[in-house]
Amino acid sequence: MSDAIGSPDPALPEDVLFSVRGLRKYFPIQAGWLKRHVGDVKAIDDVSLDIRRGETLGLVGESGSGKSTVARLMLRAYTLTGGQILFRRANGTVVDLSTLSDREMRPLRAEMQMIFQDPYSSLNPRMTLLELVGEPMVIHGVGNQGEIRDRVAELLRVVGLRPEFINRYPHAFSGGQRQRIGIARALALNPSFIAADEAVSALDVSVAAQNINLLQDLQEQFGLTYLFITHDLGMVEHIADRVGVMYLGRLMEVAPTKALFSKPLHPYTEALMAAVPQPDPRGNRARKRVPLKGEIANAANPPSGCSFHPRCTYAEARCAAEVPALRLLEGGRQVRCHFAEQLSLTGAVA
Amino acid sequence: MGSETMTRSPMPPERLLDLDDVQVHFPLREGLVKAVNGVSYHVDKGEVLGIVGESGSGKSITARAILRLLPKRAVAAGGTIRLRPRTGQDYELSALDRNSHAIRQVRGRHIGMIFQEPMTALSPVHTIGMQIMRTVQLHMGLGRAAARERAIDLLAKVQMPRPAQLVDAYPHQLSGGMRQRAMIALAISCDPSLLIADEPTTALDVTTEAQILDLLKQLQSELGMAIIFITHNFGVVADIADRVSVMYLGRIVETATVDDIFYAPKHPYTQALLRSIPRLGVDQGRRLPTIPGMVPDPFSVPAGCAFNPRCTHAVAGLCDTTVPPEKTFGSQTSRCHIAEQFTTAGKPAHV
Repeated sequence: MSDAIGSPDPALPEDVLFSVRGLRKYFPIQAGWLKRHVGDVKAIDDVSLDIRRGETLGLVGESGSGKSTVARLMLRAYTLTGGQILFRRANGTVVDLSTLSDREMRPLRAEMQMIFQDPYSSLNPRMTLLELVGEPMVIHGVGNQGEIRDRVAELLRVVGLRPEFINRYPHAFSGGQRQRIGIARALALNPSFIAADEAVSALDVSVAAQNINLLQDLQEQFGLTYLFITHDLGMVEHIADRVGVMYLGRLMEVAPTKALFSKPLHPYTEALMAAVPQPDPRGNRARKRVPLKGEIANAANPPSGCSFHPRCTYAEARCAAEVPALRLLEGGRQVRCHFAEQLSLTGAVA
Repeated sequence: MGSETMTRSPMPPERLLDLDDVQVHFPLREGLVKAVNGVSYHVDKGEVLGIVGESGSGKSITARAILRLLPKRAVAAGGTIRLRPRTGQDYELSALDRNSHAIRQVRGRHIGMIFQEPMTALSPVHTIGMQIMRTVQLHMGLGRAAARERAIDLLAKVQMPRPAQLVDAYPHQLSGGMRQRAMIALAISCDPSLLIADEPTTALDVTTEAQILDLLKQLQSELGMAIIFITHNFGVVADIADRVSVMYLGRIVETATVDDIFYAPKHPYTQALLRSIPRLGVDQGRRLPTIPGMVPDPFSVPAGCAFNPRCTHAVAGLCDTTVPPEKTFGSQTSRCHIAEQFTTAGKPAHV
């Protein structure tokens, strides 16, 4: 690790691991056989958030809201259109990932990893666990064969798989176990940050619970920082310290979990919470649900002003005309709504 | 068991569908898989029966057995399935061949079905209007013009925007939620007495899911049809079902009213599943209680109660040797040897 990337940055608070500022990702729309550039799909538009060391930031929203894209941009799996991604390295220096070339990025990838949703398609069926979990070490040139084998066996033990399985192929494992293989692989290089993209969404409830507990244990054991992307609000309330709510490529609200669930400040957050049926038949009957009308708009042709205004029950003329800014309110809360202070919204939890 | 011909009890008048000891087996090279191993349940007219269970519990295969749409290598190894739709005839579905004239009268006409992934269930090369028209022309003997009108009415009924235009749309031109609405319009096109919904909202976003659940509830009361709602999501089942059956490894382990399932479950599997779901407002930061071990593979189902190796209440010498009988407590049934120990406290099981 003798690379010279990164410099001490006094502007970034000591406890912040990731700081995303004004992040943008536009995908061009091309038309005709000349592939003329006729517009942009604004997949991510002006997203700013901080992730503190050791915390779990949950990111929720409907499909197409851009939550996976944010994670992929932070890990530089996509090149960004605009904005800054500041990352505090293990050695304390701060780098702006948006300025790095792919080559410069490579040594930093050891410090940030990802866990994927589908444990079937994310593991190469022709590789054994030794090859799968050991691959990051081979790529980063860490250790010789014997050391890699020892480390893989240890990682398998850490995620609750038997080290004897080291020469087996993924098909021999259930969905929950495959997810653990993916977790072991993500841990191989001792990262400080893991983005979990719908990591338990494909699993049955009892298996999901086991894997959630594992992720929490690992966080405690290795001091990991998580970006936890999910559409399951129950899960995010359980695991996250703070939650960001996304809609149509924009961050609508960021708040500490408890505050968000008891008193949402954005109408979209309220609508999202109201939509989730709870495993509580009496509660469901008592709570009158007003389902959100319509569907998420097309990102290639977003509504004017606040992108949520056509579906918002509280919308006024100003909402169609003026894009609300992501404002910082007391209690460390951020919200992108003109009327956040006036509205008194209902949360999912009293 | 139980299939000594001719002497079955008649169905009570409110009964729509009755399954008795249904068995579906898969003879595979590695051994015999009893995917459905003696399932009995009934559906009354106009009620919503929720079926919950983890993957591989046999909930979808049971539903397919009702429609005789089992995979080719499956063997319907026993049991009876009876249906008495609103029109009054009695069908013994278990005796029908998958291609018989009689079962084709039942599918679409008396039983509609909606699936998880509407993109694969709808034909990609026909407009949604054409698919609905074909069904109503076949089963209700309508002419082309009348069928098209009915298709537009049905699309309006499922709250499709601009039904008169979207009747000519192909499935790929619609969003996931719209496709599921088209699928529902097709399933209810002939006024079926029963709708089988197999994970119809699993692929949808929560806001769309809420819209579809509301639509199904509204159609159910408007058309007076019964619904079998298959899902693995306890939130969804709490929202829509009147009664719930919980399946584990090919058997129904517990059936009860939705309130009893959630507030007074009498099977350790139901209790354990409910505890392992994170709930809003109750468990921030707490460790989720899990079910020890994993679902055993279908070739080596444990002897006795299939859940016994994972059960914290298991009694050695009893649960691992004898298959528990179905015990009845009023409207609640539980296949657990010690079900009577779980008394009704009237409070949520997870507290």
